[in-house]
Amino acid sequence: MNEERPANDLGAQHGERDSQLSAMFDGELSAAECELLARRLTRDEALRAQWSRYSMIGAALRAERGVKLHDRVALRVQAQISQEASYGDSSAADAAIVARPAAATSASRGSLGDRWMRLARPVFGAGIAAGVAATSILWLRSQDNTELLAAAPVQETTVTVSPEPASTTTVALNQPAAEVRERVISNGEPERYTTPAPSSATNIAPPARLANYVVAHSEYSSPMTRRMALLGLVASDGTGAPELAEEAAPASQGTENRAQDHAQ
Amino acid sequence: MTAEESDLVLVKRVQRGDKSAFDLLVRKYQHKVVKLVLRYVRNPAEAEDIAQEAFIKAYRALPQFRGDSAFYTWMYRIAINTAKNQLASRDRSPIAYDLDLTDPEESHSVQTKLQDPDTPEGMALTEEIRGIVNSAIEGLPEELKTAIVLRELDGLSYEEIAAAMECPVGTVRSRIFRAREAIDKRLREVFEGGLGRTEEMV
Repeated sequence: MNEERPANDLGAQHGERDSQLSAMFDGELSAAECELLARRLTRDEALRAQWSRYSMIGAALRAERGVKLHDRVALRVQAQISQEASYGDSSAADAAIVARPAAATSASRGSLGDRWMRLARPVFGAGIAAGVAATSILWLRSQDNTELLAAAPVQETTVTVSPEPASTTTVALNQPAAEVRERVISNGEPERYTTPAPSSATNIAPPARLANYVVAHSEYSSPMTRRMALLGLVASDGTGAPELAEEAAPASQGTENRAQDHAQ
Repeated sequence: MTAEESDLVLVKRVQRGDKSAFDLLVRKYQHKVVKLVLRYVRNPAEAEDIAQEAFIKAYRALPQFRGDSAFYTWMYRIAINTAKNQLASRDRSPIAYDLDLTDPEESHSVQTKLQDPDTPEGMALTEEIRGIVNSAIEGLPEELKTAIVLRELDGLSYEEIAAAMECPVGTVRSRIFRAREAIDKRLREVFEGGLGRTEEMV
C-alpha cells in the first residue's frame, strides 16, 4: 500500500499536468499556470511530443486534405531557428532548455542577471541621455561661434611667408574668418600668420577717448553742446568700462591712434 | 483566458530568448498553416516549404509583434503573403479564390477541390493516423466525443461547450482532456512502435 501511494501520487501529478497541457493547448489555462507549464515544456521533450500529438489529433479530426500529419515543418523550422540569434536575455531561457540537474541553478543565475539588467538599464539610459545633451550643447556653441564669426564683417590681414629666403608677402583683406587656416609647412613653422582683425565695435570711439576729444575741443564748442556730451558720457560710463579695459590691449592700435591724432 | 492569451505567453517567452517556445507555436499551428498555403499551391511538399519559410519570417519579425492581434491571425497574414510572393516569383497564377485576410478560419469546401499528388507513403501514414484517431473517437463515451468534437471541429470555447452540454466548465475541461488522453494513448502506441519515425527523418 505504501509502495503504491507514491506511484498513485505521480500518476495524479501527471494527470493534472496533462490536463493543464490540454487546457493550455485550447487557451483555457490561466496565464500564471501557462507560464509555469511553458517553462516545463521547454525542457521536457516528451511533453512537447504530447503537445504535437494534440495538434495532430485536431488536424486529423478536421480531415485537412493534403495536410500530412507529422512534425516535419516544425522540425525544419526548429533546425533553422537554432542557427538564428535569440531575442532578449536568452541566458535564462536557454539554460532552462537543457535538461540537467544544474538547470535550476542556471535559471536562478539568469533571473539574477535579469534583475541586474533591470536596475542597470535606467542608469545606462540616463548616461546616454546626458552624453547626448552635452554633445548637443557643445555642438550648438561651436555652431554659434562659427556663425558669429562668419556673420561678422571681418577685415583680416593675412601674411603669407614662403619658406624660401626670397619670400613673397601677400595680404588678403575681407576674407571670412572661417576660411582662414594656418597651414604648417614641413619645417614645422606655419606658412601663414593671421593677425586677428579688430571687431566692428572698436570702430566706435569709446567714452574715455570721446571725453578727451570733448575736453580738447571744448574751446570750439558751445557750453550747451559740451554739457550734453558730458551728460551722455556720464550716463554711458557704466557700460563702457569693459570696453575701455579691452581697448588697453595693443591689438587695435590703428583705430586708437586715429582717435588720439584727432584729439590732438 | 483565451487561446490568444495562451499564445501570447509563448510569444513573450520567445521575445525573452526562449526559442523552444516558438517551437511549441509551430507545432500547434503547422497543420493549419500548411492547409492555408494549400489554397495557393497544389503540391503539399511545396506548401510545407512555404509554411516553413512563413514561420521563419514570423520568428524574425516576432520582436515587433506587440499582441495587438492574435498570434495565429498575424501568422495567417504572413503565410498568405509568403505564398503570394512565392507564386509571384515563379510568375504563376494562384488558384482563383477570394481570401478574406481578416478571417483566419479556412473554408473546407476549397480543400475538396484540390488534388493531392503527394507520395503514396506519406499519405498512407497520414491516412493511418486519421484512421486511428477516428476509431479512437468512435470508442469514446458520448459526452467525451461531443466535447472534443465541439472543441476541435466547431472551435467552441469551454464556456460555450459548457452551455451547450449544460455542465460546468471544469467538467468540459476534464472531458476534453480525457478524450485527448484516450486518443493520444493510441497514437503513442503507433509512434512508439516505429510508425512515423521514418517520416520525421525525411
